[in-house]
Amino acid sequence: MHVLSELLTPGRTVCRAPGSSKKRLFETLASVVSEDSPGITEADIFAQLIARERLGSTGLGAGIAIPHCRIANCNQPIGCLVTLEEPIDFDAPDDLPVDILFVLLVPEEAHQTHLEILARIARLFSQSSFCEALRDAPDSRVLFQRATEWQA
Amino acid sequence: MAFQDADTGAREPVNPIELTNSMIFWGALLALLCVVASGLSRRVGAPVLLVFLVLGMLAGEEGVGGLRFDNVSQAFLFGSLALAIIIFDGGQGARRDTFRVSLGPALSLATVGVVLTAGITGLVTHFLLDLSWLESLLIGAIVGSTDAAAVFGLLRSAGLQLKERTSATLEVESGSNDPMAIFLTITLVELISLQAENPGVRILGAFAEQMGLGLAIGFAGGYVLVQLLKRLSLPVSMYPLLALAGGMSVFGIANLWGGSGFLAIYLVGILIGNASLPHAKDIRRFHDGIAWLAQIGMFLMLGLLVTPSSLVPLVLPALGIALALILVARPLAVAVSLFPFHFPWREQVFISWCGLRGAVPIILALFPSLAGLEHAHVFFELAFFVVLVSLVLQGWTIAPIARWLGIEVPPVLVDPEHLVLRIPDEQEKEVLVYRAVAGSPAIGMRAGRLPLSGGAQLVGVVRQGVLLDNPREQDVELEDHVMVLGNDGAAPALARLFTPADASSSQKASAFYGDFVLKPGARLADISLMYGIAVPEALQALTVGEFINRQFHHKAVVGDRVSLDSVEFVVKKLDGDQIAVVGLKLG
Repeated sequence: MHVLSELLTPGRTVCRAPGSSKKRLFETLASVVSEDSPGITEADIFAQLIARERLGSTGLGAGIAIPHCRIANCNQPIGCLVTLEEPIDFDAPDDLPVDILFVLLVPEEAHQTHLEILARIARLFSQSSFCEALRDAPDSRVLFQRATEWQA
Repeated sequence: MAFQDADTGAREPVNPIELTNSMIFWGALLALLCVVASGLSRRVGAPVLLVFLVLGMLAGEEGVGGLRFDNVSQAFLFGSLALAIIIFDGGQGARRDTFRVSLGPALSLATVGVVLTAGITGLVTHFLLDLSWLESLLIGAIVGSTDAAAVFGLLRSAGLQLKERTSATLEVESGSNDPMAIFLTITLVELISLQAENPGVRILGAFAEQMGLGLAIGFAGGYVLVQLLKRLSLPVSMYPLLALAGGMSVFGIANLWGGSGFLAIYLVGILIGNASLPHAKDIRRFHDGIAWLAQIGMFLMLGLLVTPSSLVPLVLPALGIALALILVARPLAVAVSLFPFHFPWREQVFISWCGLRGAVPIILALFPSLAGLEHAHVFFELAFFVVLVSLVLQGWTIAPIARWLGIEVPPVLVDPEHLVLRIPDEQEKEVLVYRAVAGSPAIGMRAGRLPLSGGAQLVGVVRQGVLLDNPREQDVELEDHVMVLGNDGAAPALARLFTPADASSSQKASAFYGDFVLKPGARLADISLMYGIAVPEALQALTVGEFINRQFHHKAVVGDRVSLDSVEFVVKKLDGDQIAVVGLKLG
C-alpha cells in the first residue's frame, strides 16, 4: 500500500507556490485543503494547524515540514503537498528554511492509525532522493505523479 | 620513606655516551612502535594501553628485546611525572558546564566509592592470600582508581558517544579518584611500616591535611597560573610550556608541603581548562599530545619492569581479586555512591562496568617497594595482573556493552574544516571562513539570509579569489568561501550549513529523537488533544519540560527519554541547564 496515493488528490498538490511568511503560507494551505474537501472549513484547519505549530515547529529539517492536526467532520485522513518557489523560515530544528510541505489532517477518532500514518510520512520525507524528485518537479501534475508513484 | 634501589645486579661498566645513544634509540623506537600500534589497535578494537604494555613486555628481559630494567626508584620518578601530566590533562578536559550533572556523583564516587572499592577488594584479598588486614587493604587501595582516558579512547574508536550524565561523571571521577587512591596507598604503606597505634585517627588527620593543602595550593596556584597565562606576552609556542611548567611546579610544591600534589595539579588543570585564555586551543592540543606520550612511556616502562614469569604463581589469587573487584566491589561501590543522585539503572550499570584500571594502580604498586615493605613484589605483581585483566575483560567489551545498554546518543556533527581568526577583545568573537563544498545545504541560499544563529553576522563572500560586492544579495555557489563573524555559539549552525547533507546520519538522529519536536513549554494537556494520547489527570497541567524534569530530578541530559501512552519524549537539546528542544517519537 502506498500512503500518498490514498491521501493526495491533484487538487491538493501545488507546485512552486509563492512563498511569503509562515502565517500567510498556513492561510494558503488551509484554503487549498478546504476547497478540495467539502465539510471542512478553512478557519478550522488554519486554527488547528497553528495550534500544533505553537507546541513546536513541525519542520523535520533539510527543508521539509509536515504540519499536521486532528480535525472535526473529517471522515478519513487528508493530505496536501506543496512545494515553494522560495524557501521560508519555519523555525525548523536545524534552522534551515523550508521549501517542501506535506499537510496531514486526520479524523478526531482512531488516533493510533493517525500516529502510524504520520510516522510513515515522516519516514518517506526523510529520504533525500524522494525530496529531490519533488523539488525538481516542473508543475503540479508532475509533482502529483512523482509523489504518488514513488517506489521507496 | 626509605628509598631502596632494587637494581643490585652487577654490570659491566659501559661507555656513558654509547649507553645514552642506545637508550635514546631504543626508547624512541619503542615509542614509534607504540604510535604505529595505536593506529592498528583501533581496527582490532583492542585497548591501546594493552598494546603498549605488551610491547613493553616484549622488549623486556623475558621478551625478544631482552632489555633489563628493574630500577624501582627511577620507575617511580618517571611514573609520578607521567601521572601528574595525565591528571593535569584530565583536569583541563573537565568542562565546568558538565559539572551540573557530574560533580556531585563524581565526587561521591571518588571518595565513598574509592573507600568502598578498596575495602571490599581488601576483604576478598585477605581471604584469598595469606596477608594481614592492613596489607590486604593496601592491595584494595592500590587498585582503587579508575582510568577514563582509556574508556573514552575505546568509545571514540568505536564511534560511540555517551549521554553527558554518564560521560562527564566517568571523566570527572577518574580525575578526582586518583588523589584519593594515592592518599589511601601512601597512608596504608606508612601505617604498615610504622606499626602505628590508632590507625583510624591518623588516617583522618592525614586525609584532612593532604586534601586541605592540595585544595588550597591547587586553587591558589591555578589562579596565579591563569593570570600569568593571560598577562604575560610570550611567543605563541611558549604558552603550552608555561602551563605545563606551572602545573608541575604546583604539583611539586604541594607535595613538598605535605599536600596532595595530584589533587592540586588536577585543580590547576580544571582552572586552566575553563578559563578563557588567548591560546587555549594550543594549550589543549599540546597537553593532549604530551599526555599520550606520558601514557605510552608509562605503560612501556611498566611492561619492561615486570618479570612475566614471576606472575605465574599468582595467577589464581590475582584472577580472584580482579573478578571480585570488577564484579562485586565496583558495582556495590557505584550503587552506594550514586544512590542519592537517582541515576537511570542502565547508566549505573555502565558506570559499574567502566571501572577500567589504568596506570595509576601500577605506579601505586611501586610504593611498597620504595618503602621497603615485606612482600613488596607481591603488591606489584598483583596490581599488574589486576590491571591486565581489567584492560582485557572490560576494555574489550565496553563498546558492545554501551550499545547493548542503549546509553549512546547519535554523534553530533563534526565541525567541517574551516579557518578561524580570533579577534582579541572581550567579546571572544572570531571570523570564521567556511568553504561551500559539494552537497552543503548553504549552496543556492541567499548569503544575506543564511540561517546563522547566536548573533553571528555575514562578513563577506569570496568567489574565485575575489570578494563579492554586495554579498548579502548573492546566492552562495559551489566553492565559495563564506566569512562569518561570530562566537562559539555560531559553530553548530554553520557546521550544518557547510557539511554535505548525510542521509544516514540524519535518519539515525530521527530514529533516536523522533521526527518531530516540541517546545519544552508545550502542555501535556494540549499534546494529548493534538495526538489523542491518554494523559493521567495528575499530569494534565504539566508542560512536557516539567514532566521530563520530574523524572530526572531537574538534571536531564540530551538523550534522556520518558514515554507517555504510545509516544516518547526525548531531550534533544539543552540550553545551559534548561531543556531547549524535546523530540517527539510516535508509536
